[in-house]
Amino acid sequence: MQAQVEQWLKEGTVDLFIGYKKIDGHVMPHFFTKEKIDEVKDLVAGQAHYSLEKIATKVAAEHPDMKIGILLARNCNQQALNVLTIWNQLNSDNIKTIDAFGDACPSEQAEDIAPYKQQNGLSKSMVPEDAEAFDQEQRFSRWMYEFSKCMKCYGCRNICPVCFCKECSLEHKDLVGTGNLPPEIPVFHLVRAVHMAGRCIDCGLCEEACPSDIPLRLLYRKVNEIVKDVYDYETGTSPDQSPFSVLGEKVVLETTKL
Amino acid sequence: MDYKFVPSVCPYCGTGCGVLFEVIDGKLAGTLPNKTHPVNEGKLCIKGWNMHEYVNSFMRLKQPLVKSFGRFLKTDWDEAIRITADRFKEIVEKHGPDSIGVLVSAKITNEENYLAQKFARAVIGTNNVDHCARL
Ligand code: SF4
Ligand code: SF4
Ligand code: SF4
Repeated sequence: MQAQVEQWLKEGTVDLFIGYKKIDGHVMPHFFTKEKIDEVKDLVAGQAHYSLEKIATKVAAEHPDMKIGILLARNCNQQALNVLTIWNQLNSDNIKTIDAFGDACPSEQAEDIAPYKQQNGLSKSMVPEDAEAFDQEQRFSRWMYEFSKCMKCYGCRNICPVCFCKECSLEHKDLVGTGNLPPEIPVFHLVRAVHMAGRCIDCGLCEEACPSDIPLRLLYRKVNEIVKDVYDYETGTSPDQSPFSVLGEKVVLETTKL
Repeated sequence: MDYKFVPSVCPYCGTGCGVLFEVIDGKLAGTLPNKTHPVNEGKLCIKGWNMHEYVNSFMRLKQPLVKSFGRFLKTDWDEAIRITADRFKEIVEKHGPDSIGVLVSAKITNEENYLAQKFARAVIGTNNVDHCARL
Protein backbone atom coordinates (compact mmCIF):
# COMPACT_ATOMS: atom_id res chain seq x y z
CA MET A 1 0.00 0.00 0.00
CA GLN A 2 2.65 2.51 1.05
CA ALA A 3 4.95 1.59 -1.81
CA GLN A 4 2.14 2.06 -4.30
CA VAL A 5 1.24 5.48 -2.90
CA GLU A 6 4.88 6.54 -2.87
CA GLN A 7 5.26 5.53 -6.49
CA TRP A 8 2.08 7.32 -7.56
CA LEU A 9 3.13 10.52 -5.84
CA LYS A 10 6.70 10.41 -7.20
CA GLU A 11 5.57 9.66 -10.73
CA GLY A 12 2.83 12.23 -10.61
CA THR A 13 0.07 9.69 -11.17
CA VAL A 14 -1.67 11.54 -8.36
CA ASP A 15 -0.99 15.04 -7.00
CA LEU A 16 -2.50 14.23 -3.67
CA PHE A 17 -3.32 11.06 -1.78
CA ILE A 18 -6.03 11.08 0.86
CA GLY A 19 -5.50 8.39 3.48
CA TYR A 20 -5.12 8.05 7.22
CA LYS A 21 -2.30 8.85 9.60
CA LYS A 22 -2.01 8.51 13.34
CA ILE A 23 -1.55 11.90 14.97
CA ASP A 24 -1.51 12.32 18.77
CA GLY A 25 -2.84 8.79 19.11
CA HIS A 26 -5.82 9.41 16.82
CA VAL A 27 -6.16 7.91 13.38
CA MET A 28 -7.32 10.80 11.22
CA PRO A 29 -7.59 11.72 7.56
CA HIS A 30 -4.34 12.95 6.12
CA PHE A 31 -3.26 14.45 2.81
CA PHE A 32 -0.09 12.84 1.48
CA THR A 33 1.94 14.78 -1.09
CA LYS A 34 5.15 14.51 -3.05
CA GLU A 35 6.68 17.36 -1.07
CA LYS A 36 6.34 15.36 2.14
CA ILE A 37 6.99 11.93 0.71
CA ASP A 38 8.52 10.69 4.00
CA GLU A 39 5.10 10.74 5.60
CA VAL A 40 3.87 7.95 3.34
CA LYS A 41 5.49 5.40 5.65
CA ASP A 42 2.96 6.50 8.31
CA LEU A 43 -0.02 5.77 6.06
CA VAL A 44 -2.46 3.49 7.86
CA ALA A 45 -5.80 1.97 6.94
CA GLY A 46 -8.92 1.62 8.99
CA GLN A 47 -9.52 1.93 12.73
CA ALA A 48 -11.45 5.15 12.28
CA HIS A 49 -13.80 5.94 9.44
CA TYR A 50 -14.18 9.29 7.83
CA SER A 51 -15.63 10.00 4.45
CA LEU A 52 -12.45 10.49 2.46
CA GLU A 53 -14.61 10.67 -0.67
CA LYS A 54 -16.48 13.68 0.64
CA ILE A 55 -13.18 15.32 1.51
CA ALA A 56 -12.08 14.65 -2.08
CA THR A 57 -15.14 16.47 -3.43
CA LYS A 58 -14.12 19.55 -1.49
CA VAL A 59 -10.63 19.41 -2.93
CA ALA A 60 -12.03 18.84 -6.42
CA ALA A 61 -14.33 21.83 -6.05
CA GLU A 62 -11.31 24.05 -5.40
CA HIS A 63 -8.94 22.38 -7.87
CA PRO A 64 -11.00 20.67 -10.59
CA ASP A 65 -7.97 19.30 -12.45
CA MET A 66 -6.12 17.88 -9.51
CA LYS A 67 -5.45 14.15 -9.65
CA ILE A 68 -6.53 12.67 -6.36
CA GLY A 69 -5.74 9.28 -4.86
CA ILE A 70 -8.09 7.89 -2.23
CA LEU A 71 -7.73 5.06 0.22
CA LEU A 72 -10.81 2.85 0.32
CA ALA A 73 -11.08 1.14 3.68
CA ARG A 74 -14.45 -0.48 3.13
CA ASN A 75 -16.60 -1.58 0.26
CA CYS A 76 -19.03 1.27 0.89
CA ASN A 77 -16.24 3.78 0.18
CA GLN A 78 -16.12 2.50 -3.39
CA GLN A 79 -19.89 2.80 -3.62
CA ALA A 80 -19.77 6.35 -2.30
CA LEU A 81 -17.27 7.18 -5.06
CA ASN A 82 -19.59 5.66 -7.64
CA VAL A 83 -22.53 7.73 -6.45
CA LEU A 84 -20.47 10.92 -6.31
CA THR A 85 -19.25 10.28 -9.85
CA ILE A 86 -22.77 9.61 -11.10
CA TRP A 87 -23.91 12.90 -9.55
CA ASN A 88 -20.98 14.83 -11.08
CA GLN A 89 -19.28 15.64 -7.80
CA LEU A 90 -16.08 13.87 -8.83
CA ASN A 91 -14.54 13.26 -12.21
CA SER A 92 -13.56 9.60 -12.36
CA ASP A 93 -10.66 10.42 -14.75
CA ASN A 94 -8.96 12.28 -11.91
CA ILE A 95 -9.49 9.68 -9.21
CA LYS A 96 -7.22 6.74 -8.39
CA THR A 97 -8.02 4.39 -5.57
CA ILE A 98 -6.32 1.80 -3.41
CA ASP A 99 -8.46 -0.90 -1.85
CA ALA A 100 -7.62 -1.79 1.70
CA PHE A 101 -10.96 -3.47 2.36
CA GLY A 102 -11.13 -5.63 5.39
CA ASP A 103 -12.64 -3.47 8.05
CA ALA A 104 -15.79 -4.91 9.46
CA CYS A 105 -18.95 -2.98 8.82
CA PRO A 106 -20.14 -1.46 12.11
CA SER A 107 -23.66 -2.73 11.45
CA GLU A 108 -22.36 -6.23 12.03
CA GLN A 109 -21.27 -5.45 15.54
CA ALA A 110 -23.45 -6.37 18.49
CA GLU A 111 -25.18 -3.56 20.29
CA ASP A 112 -26.32 -3.08 23.88
CA ILE A 113 -29.83 -1.69 23.88
CA ALA A 114 -31.21 0.08 26.93
CA PRO A 115 -34.50 -1.38 28.24
CA TYR A 116 -36.43 1.85 27.62
CA LYS A 117 -35.34 1.92 24.01
CA GLN A 118 -36.21 -1.74 23.67
CA GLN A 119 -39.73 -1.00 24.83
CA ASN A 120 -40.33 2.24 23.00
CA GLY A 121 -37.88 2.64 20.17
CA LEU A 122 -36.05 0.93 17.37
CA SER A 123 -32.46 -0.17 17.49
CA LYS A 124 -29.57 0.28 15.11
CA SER A 125 -29.03 -3.43 14.78
CA MET A 126 -32.48 -3.96 13.28
CA VAL A 127 -33.11 -4.70 9.63
CA PRO A 128 -36.31 -3.46 7.96
CA GLU A 129 -38.06 -6.81 8.52
CA ASP A 130 -37.48 -6.56 12.28
CA ALA A 131 -39.16 -3.17 12.36
CA GLU A 132 -42.00 -4.40 10.19
CA ALA A 133 -42.75 -7.11 12.72
CA PHE A 134 -44.45 -4.38 14.78
CA ASP A 135 -47.94 -3.38 13.70
CA GLN A 136 -48.30 -0.02 11.99
CA GLU A 137 -49.35 1.92 15.05
CA GLN A 138 -46.49 0.53 17.15
CA ARG A 139 -44.01 1.17 14.40
CA PHE A 140 -45.13 4.76 14.00
CA SER A 141 -44.96 5.49 17.69
CA ARG A 142 -41.55 3.86 17.92
CA TRP A 143 -40.23 5.96 15.05
CA MET A 144 -41.74 9.08 16.57
CA TYR A 145 -40.02 8.27 19.85
CA GLU A 146 -36.71 7.98 18.03
CA PHE A 147 -37.25 11.18 16.01
CA SER A 148 -38.33 13.13 19.09
CA LYS A 149 -34.76 12.81 20.41
CA CYS A 150 -33.33 14.68 17.43
CA MET A 151 -31.41 17.79 18.41
CA LYS A 152 -31.09 19.07 14.86
CA CYS A 153 -27.33 19.02 14.81
CA TYR A 154 -27.36 18.24 11.07
CA GLY A 155 -24.56 15.78 11.81
CA CYS A 156 -26.26 13.10 9.72
CA ARG A 157 -26.25 15.36 6.71
CA ASN A 158 -22.83 16.90 7.36
CA ILE A 159 -21.03 13.59 7.63
CA CYS A 160 -22.88 11.85 4.80
CA PRO A 161 -20.64 11.24 1.78
CA VAL A 162 -23.53 11.63 -0.65
CA CYS A 163 -25.11 14.78 0.81
CA PHE A 164 -23.58 17.57 -1.19
CA CYS A 165 -26.36 20.01 -2.06
CA LYS A 166 -25.52 23.70 -2.07
CA GLU A 167 -28.80 24.51 -0.43
CA CYS A 168 -30.14 21.78 1.77
CA SER A 169 -33.89 21.21 2.02
CA LEU A 170 -33.52 20.52 5.73
CA GLU A 171 -32.67 24.19 6.21
CA HIS A 172 -35.51 25.43 4.04
CA LYS A 173 -38.13 27.02 6.26
CA ASP A 174 -41.01 26.21 3.91
CA LEU A 175 -40.17 22.52 3.91
CA VAL A 176 -39.15 21.97 7.51
CA GLY A 177 -40.50 24.22 10.23
CA THR A 178 -37.94 26.19 12.20
CA GLY A 179 -37.49 27.44 15.73
CA ASN A 180 -38.26 24.28 17.70
CA LEU A 181 -36.50 21.30 19.16
CA PRO A 182 -36.97 18.56 18.21
CA PRO A 183 -37.33 19.84 14.66
CA GLU A 184 -40.61 19.25 12.90
CA ILE A 185 -40.99 15.48 13.07
CA PRO A 186 -41.31 13.21 11.26
CA VAL A 187 -40.92 15.66 8.34
CA PHE A 188 -37.27 16.47 9.07
CA HIS A 189 -36.25 12.83 8.95
CA LEU A 190 -38.54 11.86 6.12
CA VAL A 191 -37.27 14.66 3.89
CA ARG A 192 -33.79 13.32 4.37
CA ALA A 193 -34.97 9.74 3.88
CA VAL A 194 -36.56 10.62 0.55
CA HIS A 195 -33.34 12.32 -0.57
CA MET A 196 -31.39 9.21 0.29
CA ALA A 197 -33.42 7.15 -2.16
CA GLY A 198 -31.02 6.13 -4.91
CA ARG A 199 -28.16 7.83 -3.09
CA CYS A 200 -27.51 6.27 0.32
CA ILE A 201 -24.81 3.62 0.15
CA ASP A 202 -25.44 2.36 3.67
CA CYS A 203 -22.08 3.35 5.11
CA GLY A 204 -23.56 4.07 8.53
CA LEU A 205 -21.60 7.28 9.11
CA CYS A 206 -24.82 9.22 9.79
CA GLU A 207 -25.78 6.86 12.56
CA GLU A 208 -22.31 7.02 14.07
CA ALA A 209 -22.50 10.82 14.07
CA CYS A 210 -25.98 11.00 15.56
CA PRO A 211 -25.71 12.10 19.19
CA SER A 212 -29.27 10.93 19.81
CA ASP A 213 -28.82 7.30 18.83
CA ILE A 214 -31.52 7.40 16.14
CA PRO A 215 -31.44 4.33 13.83
CA LEU A 216 -31.17 6.43 10.68
CA ARG A 217 -29.63 3.72 8.61
CA LEU A 218 -32.62 1.45 9.18
CA LEU A 219 -34.82 4.15 7.68
CA TYR A 220 -32.62 4.63 4.63
CA ARG A 221 -32.26 0.89 4.17
CA LYS A 222 -36.01 0.61 3.91
CA VAL A 223 -36.11 3.47 1.41
CA ASN A 224 -33.53 1.84 -0.80
CA GLU A 225 -35.22 -1.52 -0.53
CA ILE A 226 -38.20 0.15 -2.19
CA VAL A 227 -35.95 1.73 -4.80
CA LYS A 228 -34.61 -1.71 -5.63
CA ASP A 229 -38.03 -3.36 -5.76
CA VAL A 230 -39.69 -0.65 -7.80
CA TYR A 231 -36.90 0.54 -10.10
CA ASP A 232 -34.51 -2.38 -9.99
CA TYR A 233 -31.80 0.13 -9.12
CA GLU A 234 -28.95 -0.91 -6.82
CA THR A 235 -27.68 2.26 -5.19
CA GLY A 236 -23.89 2.39 -5.23
CA THR A 237 -23.33 -0.45 -7.63
CA SER A 238 -25.56 0.40 -10.59
CA PRO A 239 -23.46 2.43 -13.02
CA ASP A 240 -26.38 4.51 -14.30
CA GLN A 241 -27.87 7.68 -13.00
CA SER A 242 -30.42 7.05 -10.29
CA PRO A 243 -34.11 6.98 -11.24
CA PHE A 244 -34.54 10.13 -9.16
CA SER A 245 -32.49 12.45 -11.29
CA VAL A 246 -35.67 13.32 -13.16
CA LEU A 247 -34.93 16.94 -12.60
CA GLY A 248 -34.93 17.82 -16.27
CA GLU A 249 -32.00 18.37 -18.54
CA LYS A 250 -31.40 21.98 -17.66
CA VAL A 251 -30.77 21.36 -13.99
CA VAL A 252 -27.10 20.87 -13.30
CA LEU A 253 -25.84 19.75 -9.95
CA GLU A 254 -22.75 21.82 -9.51
CA THR A 255 -19.95 20.83 -7.20
CA THR A 256 -20.18 22.56 -3.87
CA LYS A 257 -17.77 25.43 -3.40
CA LEU A 258 -16.43 25.72 0.12
CA MET B 1 -1.35 23.71 -2.21
CA ASP B 2 -1.56 22.83 1.44
CA TYR B 3 -4.22 20.57 2.90
CA LYS B 4 -4.30 19.31 6.43
CA PHE B 5 -6.43 18.23 9.35
CA VAL B 6 -5.64 19.80 12.69
CA PRO B 7 -6.92 18.13 15.86
CA SER B 8 -8.36 20.48 18.44
CA VAL B 9 -10.94 20.79 21.18
CA CYS B 10 -14.25 22.58 20.76
CA PRO B 11 -14.19 25.86 22.70
CA TYR B 12 -17.96 26.33 22.88
CA CYS B 13 -18.86 24.66 26.17
CA GLY B 14 -17.26 22.76 29.02
CA THR B 15 -17.73 19.29 27.54
CA GLY B 16 -14.55 19.40 25.50
CA CYS B 17 -15.44 17.49 22.33
CA GLY B 18 -12.58 16.56 20.06
CA VAL B 19 -12.69 18.05 16.58
CA LEU B 20 -10.62 18.05 13.43
CA PHE B 21 -10.24 21.31 11.60
CA GLU B 22 -10.05 20.98 7.86
CA VAL B 23 -7.50 23.46 6.57
CA ILE B 24 -7.35 23.97 2.81
CA ASP B 25 -4.71 26.31 1.42
CA GLY B 26 -4.23 27.95 4.79
CA LYS B 27 -7.92 28.63 5.27
CA LEU B 28 -10.09 26.95 7.87
CA ALA B 29 -12.66 25.31 5.66
CA GLY B 30 -14.55 22.82 7.79
CA THR B 31 -14.97 21.05 11.10
CA LEU B 32 -15.34 17.32 11.60
CA PRO B 33 -15.93 15.44 14.83
CA ASN B 34 -12.92 13.43 15.97
CA LYS B 35 -14.20 9.88 15.70
CA THR B 36 -11.76 8.38 18.17
CA HIS B 37 -11.98 11.10 20.82
CA PRO B 38 -13.07 9.63 24.17
CA VAL B 39 -15.37 12.55 24.98
CA ASN B 40 -17.61 12.77 21.94
CA GLU B 41 -16.83 9.59 19.97
CA GLY B 42 -17.46 11.15 16.59
CA LYS B 43 -20.47 13.25 17.47
CA LEU B 44 -20.94 17.01 17.73
CA CYS B 45 -23.75 19.44 18.40
CA ILE B 46 -24.75 22.05 15.85
CA LYS B 47 -22.40 24.65 17.31
CA GLY B 48 -19.40 22.35 17.11
CA TRP B 49 -20.15 21.41 13.51
CA ASN B 50 -20.02 25.07 12.51
CA MET B 51 -17.00 26.24 14.46
CA HIS B 52 -15.01 27.20 11.39
CA GLU B 53 -17.65 29.80 10.58
CA TYR B 54 -17.03 31.97 13.59
CA VAL B 55 -13.29 31.77 13.21
CA ASN B 56 -13.68 33.17 9.70
CA SER B 57 -16.47 35.60 10.57
CA PHE B 58 -15.92 39.18 9.48
CA MET B 59 -17.58 40.24 12.72
CA ARG B 60 -14.95 38.56 14.86
CA LEU B 61 -13.03 40.86 17.19
CA LYS B 62 -9.34 40.56 16.57
CA GLN B 63 -8.06 43.32 18.80
CA PRO B 64 -9.34 45.28 21.79
CA LEU B 65 -11.75 48.15 21.19
CA VAL B 66 -12.34 51.00 23.58
CA LYS B 67 -15.62 52.89 23.61
CA SER B 68 -15.00 56.58 23.54
CA PHE B 69 -17.81 59.11 23.04
CA GLY B 70 -20.10 56.36 21.82
CA ARG B 71 -17.69 54.98 19.22
CA PHE B 72 -15.47 51.92 19.34
CA LEU B 73 -11.83 52.75 18.71
CA LYS B 74 -9.12 50.18 18.07
CA THR B 75 -6.39 50.04 20.64
CA ASP B 76 -3.71 47.69 22.03
CA TRP B 77 -3.93 45.42 25.05
CA ASP B 78 -1.84 47.59 27.39
CA GLU B 79 -3.99 50.59 26.73
CA ALA B 80 -7.23 48.62 27.01
CA ILE B 81 -6.21 47.05 30.33
CA ARG B 82 -5.08 50.39 31.71
CA ILE B 83 -8.37 52.06 30.83
CA THR B 84 -10.38 49.15 32.28
CA ALA B 85 -8.37 49.20 35.51
CA ASP B 86 -8.85 52.95 35.90
CA ARG B 87 -12.60 52.64 35.37
CA PHE B 88 -12.86 49.74 37.84
CA LYS B 89 -11.02 51.82 40.44
CA GLU B 90 -13.36 54.74 39.90
CA ILE B 91 -16.45 52.53 40.21
CA VAL B 92 -15.20 50.77 43.35
CA GLU B 93 -14.31 54.08 45.01
CA LYS B 94 -17.65 55.64 44.16
CA HIS B 95 -20.10 52.75 44.56
CA GLY B 96 -18.22 50.10 46.54
CA PRO B 97 -16.79 46.74 45.43
CA ASP B 98 -20.18 44.99 45.37
CA SER B 99 -21.19 47.14 42.43
CA ILE B 100 -19.00 44.86 40.31
CA GLY B 101 -19.65 41.25 39.43
CA VAL B 102 -17.48 38.72 37.63
CA LEU B 103 -18.95 36.14 35.27
CA VAL B 104 -16.76 33.13 34.54
CA SER B 105 -17.24 30.68 31.72
CA ALA B 106 -17.19 27.04 30.74
CA LYS B 107 -15.21 28.03 27.66
CA ILE B 108 -12.13 28.95 29.67
CA THR B 109 -9.91 26.59 31.63
CA ASN B 110 -10.21 25.61 35.26
CA GLU B 111 -7.15 27.67 36.06
CA GLU B 112 -8.54 30.73 34.30
CA ASN B 113 -11.80 30.35 36.22
CA TYR B 114 -9.78 30.18 39.43
CA LEU B 115 -7.90 33.34 38.50
CA ALA B 116 -11.15 35.11 37.69
CA GLN B 117 -12.70 34.43 41.12
CA LYS B 118 -9.39 35.34 42.75
CA PHE B 119 -9.49 38.62 40.89
CA ALA B 120 -13.06 39.25 42.05
CA ARG B 121 -12.38 38.45 45.68
CA ALA B 122 -8.82 39.61 46.23
CA VAL B 123 -8.52 42.53 43.83
CA ILE B 124 -12.03 43.96 43.52
CA GLY B 125 -13.17 42.74 46.93
CA THR B 126 -16.54 41.19 46.09
CA ASN B 127 -18.14 37.78 46.30
CA ASN B 128 -20.21 38.48 43.19
CA VAL B 129 -18.94 35.57 41.12
CA ASP B 130 -21.19 33.56 38.86
CA HIS B 131 -20.98 31.24 35.91
CA CYS B 132 -22.30 31.60 32.40
CA ALA B 133 -24.11 28.27 32.66
CA ARG B 134 -26.45 29.83 35.28
CA LEU B 135 -27.37 32.93 33.35
S1 SF4 C 1 -25.64 5.45 5.63
FE1 SF4 C 1 -26.01 7.56 6.25
S2 SF4 C 1 -24.05 8.64 5.91
FE2 SF4 C 1 -23.97 6.71 4.75
S3 SF4 C 1 -24.67 7.26 2.70
FE3 SF4 C 1 -26.47 6.55 3.85
S4 SF4 C 1 -27.37 8.42 4.67
FE4 SF4 C 1 -25.29 8.92 4.06
S1 SF4 D 1 -29.61 15.29 -0.24
FE1 SF4 D 1 -31.21 16.32 0.93
S2 SF4 D 1 -30.51 16.18 3.04
FE2 SF4 D 1 -28.74 15.77 1.74
S3 SF4 D 1 -27.73 17.79 1.47
FE3 SF4 D 1 -29.14 17.46 -0.25
S4 SF4 D 1 -31.02 18.50 0.37
FE4 SF4 D 1 -29.80 18.14 2.25
S1 SF4 E 1 -27.54 13.42 13.47
FE1 SF4 E 1 -29.30 12.69 14.71
S2 SF4 E 1 -29.72 14.39 16.15
FE2 SF4 E 1 -28.42 15.21 14.49
S3 SF4 E 1 -29.89 16.07 13.00
FE3 SF4 E 1 -29.42 13.97 12.34
S4 SF4 E 1 -31.02 12.74 13.28
FE4 SF4 E 1 -31.05 14.68 14.35
